Amino acid sequence: MPIHEKSLIRPENLVTHENLEIDGVNVSGHWSTFIESRAVTDYNEAMEEEIGALPGGEFIHRCWQCGSCTNSCTVNAINPDFNPRYWIYLTRLGMESELLRDKDIIWQCVSCNKCTYACPRDVNPEGVMKALSHWLELKGHTPTSPSMHFDEEFAEQVFDTGRIEEGRIIRGFFARTGQPLLQDWLVEMGKRLLRHLPLKMLAVMGLGSVIRPRTRGWAGARAAIAQYVTERRAADRRALGLGGERK
Amino acid sequence: MSERYRKVAYYPGCALEGTGHAYDRSTRAVGKKLGLDLVEVRNWNCCGAMEVKNIDPKLQTYLSSRVMSIAAQEMGMDTVMAPCNGCYHNLKKAEYDLANDAASRDVVDRLSQKAGHATYRAGSLTTIHALDWIKEALGEDGIRLRTTRPLAGLKVANYYGCMYTRPRHIFPEKDKGEGSESTAAPHFMDDILAAAGAEIVDYPLKTACCGGAHTLSDSDTSTKLVLNLLETAEECGADVIATECPTCHSGLEMHQVRAEKRFGRKTRVAMMYFTQLLGVALGIGPRRLGIHENISDALEVLRAKGLR
Repeated sequence: MPIHEKSLIRPENLVTHENLEIDGVNVSGHWSTFIESRAVTDYNEAMEEEIGALPGGEFIHRCWQCGSCTNSCTVNAINPDFNPRYWIYLTRLGMESELLRDKDIIWQCVSCNKCTYACPRDVNPEGVMKALSHWLELKGHTPTSPSMHFDEEFAEQVFDTGRIEEGRIIRGFFARTGQPLLQDWLVEMGKRLLRHLPLKMLAVMGLGSVIRPRTRGWAGARAAIAQYVTERRAADRRALGLGGERK
Repeated sequence: MSERYRKVAYYPGCALEGTGHAYDRSTRAVGKKLGLDLVEVRNWNCCGAMEVKNIDPKLQTYLSSRVMSIAAQEMGMDTVMAPCNGCYHNLKKAEYDLANDAASRDVVDRLSQKAGHATYRAGSLTTIHALDWIKEALGEDGIRLRTTRPLAGLKVANYYGCMYTRPRHIFPEKDKGEGSESTAAPHFMDDILAAAGAEIVDYPLKTACCGGAHTLSDSDTSTKLVLNLLETAEECGADVIATECPTCHSGLEMHQVRAEKRFGRKTRVAMMYFTQLLGVALGIGPRRLGIHENISDALEVLRAKGLR
């Protein structure tokens, strides 16, 4: 699979004139397309430091732009705009407005770790993708992504009882994202599951949905985790120069 | 049969009490049949999975370390076996971080003290996957010896997913030459099922990603990735994709149905946990292996091959 890099010339920067004469020469029409200047003036010089301060982004400074991450990337193979190498480049240069053009797809990293496996500099690109997603949300550039909704639903259950119950996760996630639970494919899955009457499995899963599975004596861990999460959130916001608590 | 791993701590994890129920059943059934003792980790908690890691990696390290602390310090075990790739990966990652990163050690120590249990000390426990367990305890000769119903004529594509081999640095025992597992081309499942008589097809996507992380949050991406895995397995001639992770397994089954409903692309390959296939070869009945709990019609595949 070849790597399709972004064209440096964007369609909106290509200008043709219906009637234009320069120094007596007619340059109208497509044969003489002009390219608009795209000088970048709004660098965010703190950007690399900000990403480096978030969990996962610690080693972004090591990158030497070999492109092994993008070359091995699972998501890049189905969407050429998904380009970790390019985002690391933009972050290190502080080209925030350029990065924001891709803000709505960065969260789609599937954490397969192929990039981290391939990286010769131990940048941990998978972690950088997570740090970038957090950064975009903390800065208010993007709404909470479906992935973050899922992570929060999952993590809250673990923090609360020490364990998760999958049915509760699915119901909670669909409720958070305003989707109907009765998806056609979920219904079809249910039908196929019932085909051979897996009574024992149904009993275990049914019991789990009534009596939440929990780790005994979890109160101490719950309190310790809650305190740590509060500290971490405050630290993340400080690192990004943001005041107050997240909404 | 090797004495090592004759008795190990068993960490099933959350998925094996839900959608991965059949993996738990078949793992226990195989252990019982082979006389391998599985002692469940007492009062375990979730390893943190991918989701808590995304919230904060050190919290995931703490959650995994609590499980390891119970197995090593409370139960006095030297080995813990996790059949789930996610749990296995996280315990390995916690082990690595606690051995190499002072900041992780500080957080884990602080949280463990506040929570009121012993802090896990790196190096006191070895984490293994169910594949390591079978491969080491039995070996291929041991499997051949105990196989009463060889999986003859059954074409199997072995699918390992992401978390079993990546990233390399948390698996220091892999890539050590002959006899060890390879991170680039893992083969333990191939070895085990070949010894059980199955015909292993050459499957180029054995460590490709199924999109499990976003199975619900970005379902179209997951469906595309899974469809590629399923259609490639069929191109390779496989009747069954053997799995060794509950998230991969349920992802493959879920998105097989979703691909049919949403993209109109039907595939007939069935999914089975490697412990289910091994169990069949060892002569364990299909219901005791939970094969009827699979969403893809694995029972029908076995029937067609005269294996039930």
